[in-house]
Amino acid sequence: MSFEYLKFGKEEKDFIEKIEEISGQNVYSCYQCGKCSAGCAFSGSMDKTVNQLIHLIQLGQKRKVLDSNTQWVCASCLTCSVRCPREIDVAALMEAVREYQFREEPEKIVISKIPKEAYDKLPNIALVSNFRKKTG
Amino acid sequence: MVQYSYFPGCNLKTNAKGFEETAIAVSKKLEAELVEIPNWNCCGTVHTMTSDNLMRRIAPVRVLSRSKKHIETLGEDTLNEVVTLCAMCNSTLKIVNHEVKEDQDKLDTINFQLEEDDEVYDHDMEVKHFLEIIRDDIGFEKISKSVVNPLEGLKISPYYGCMLLHPDEAAIDDVEMPSVLEYLVESLGAKVVDSPLFKFCCGSYHIVDEEKIVDTQVAKIVEAARSRGANALVVACPLCAFNIDHQQKILKEKTHGKEPLPVFYFTQLMALALGVPIKTNHFEDHHVDPKPLLKELGLSGSKKSK
Repeated sequence: MSFEYLKFGKEEKDFIEKIEEISGQNVYSCYQCGKCSAGCAFSGSMDKTVNQLIHLIQLGQKRKVLDSNTQWVCASCLTCSVRCPREIDVAALMEAVREYQFREEPEKIVISKIPKEAYDKLPNIALVSNFRKKTG
Repeated sequence: MVQYSYFPGCNLKTNAKGFEETAIAVSKKLEAELVEIPNWNCCGTVHTMTSDNLMRRIAPVRVLSRSKKHIETLGEDTLNEVVTLCAMCNSTLKIVNHEVKEDQDKLDTINFQLEEDDEVYDHDMEVKHFLEIIRDDIGFEKISKSVVNPLEGLKISPYYGCMLLHPDEAAIDDVEMPSVLEYLVESLGAKVVDSPLFKFCCGSYHIVDEEKIVDTQVAKIVEAARSRGANALVVACPLCAFNIDHQQKILKEKTHGKEPLPVFYFTQLMALALGVPIKTNHFEDHHVDPKPLLKELGLSGSKKSK
């Protein structure tokens, strides 16, 4: 069994504080039951499950959180938020991580690179919500 | 006839014309007319879950304020309610309405922005989805009495999607065990096929840049319904409808899989059963054509409808 030493200093604490401020949630409410990941429709496409990501937020591991794809695969269907036994708005935490990331890199998708045919084909509801979620 | 102030939302004017036109047609038949707000704007489609970004909450509040003004021009028995058809508008408007009702400070700041256009919102509106109007105001009994063309032979799996049921403030029914679509489908004479994936997210806006995610979701949703014997799906969200409808066609081409299931809006089923002319459905906008199935079951409306 191998161990990993985690740093827990000012930078880590600041990260946790910022995520809590943006989401309005207390990340330490989470006791890792895993119900969010069990019910998540997208767990299969995520490199870290939702509760794993929350655990990393609790530990302030900013780089690992921002490097995972979990927050981007989340489609804000809110199933986790309505089921959380600790009444955490889990989807709001995912949104907070996205918002945090937009400060470093404001565009997850480049709108000008979307092919023109897509605009004719896709419903406007899909485009508007995609731009809202994936650009800062 | 009772009139309702109705907020269409962007998609009902483009991809989902059949949804809107059938809804207005059946609402007139059921004496609960939907009257469009004349100067509505987009609600923003997705609700922001950040605690501090008020900018993204202005559009929904503006919709509520304009709807209030619109109601003054409608009949006397019109309640302070704005009715939506789109599930995403339902969720966004309800959440924001709930938030500004709880937090006067937020509302004051937003009203300060609306003042420029001589608009103000006074937290006195309720947001309702048309399914709630059908269940609570019209009643399933009245609907089944108005049926002229029972949908015999259709085995329909209701797919609620996320935004009709999430979060708690926006839920139109029980979050884990909804029944409104089931009752509606039964009152129209069709058979209900329950699927466990009735609110398994379809992938939503990932259709723009992560099509693969949507494909996985759609394949599961459709297979769950098909394996239980359904021959069609019913939805209430234009984005669910597009994702399931369009991606089934793509999946069929890619994998040479089973025949896709047609996707109906609940109002289209009502229109078919209540004898509204079939062209109102705009079936030409569907990617999986429902007409062959309707023809096979004798529901195309040509011989039976009055």
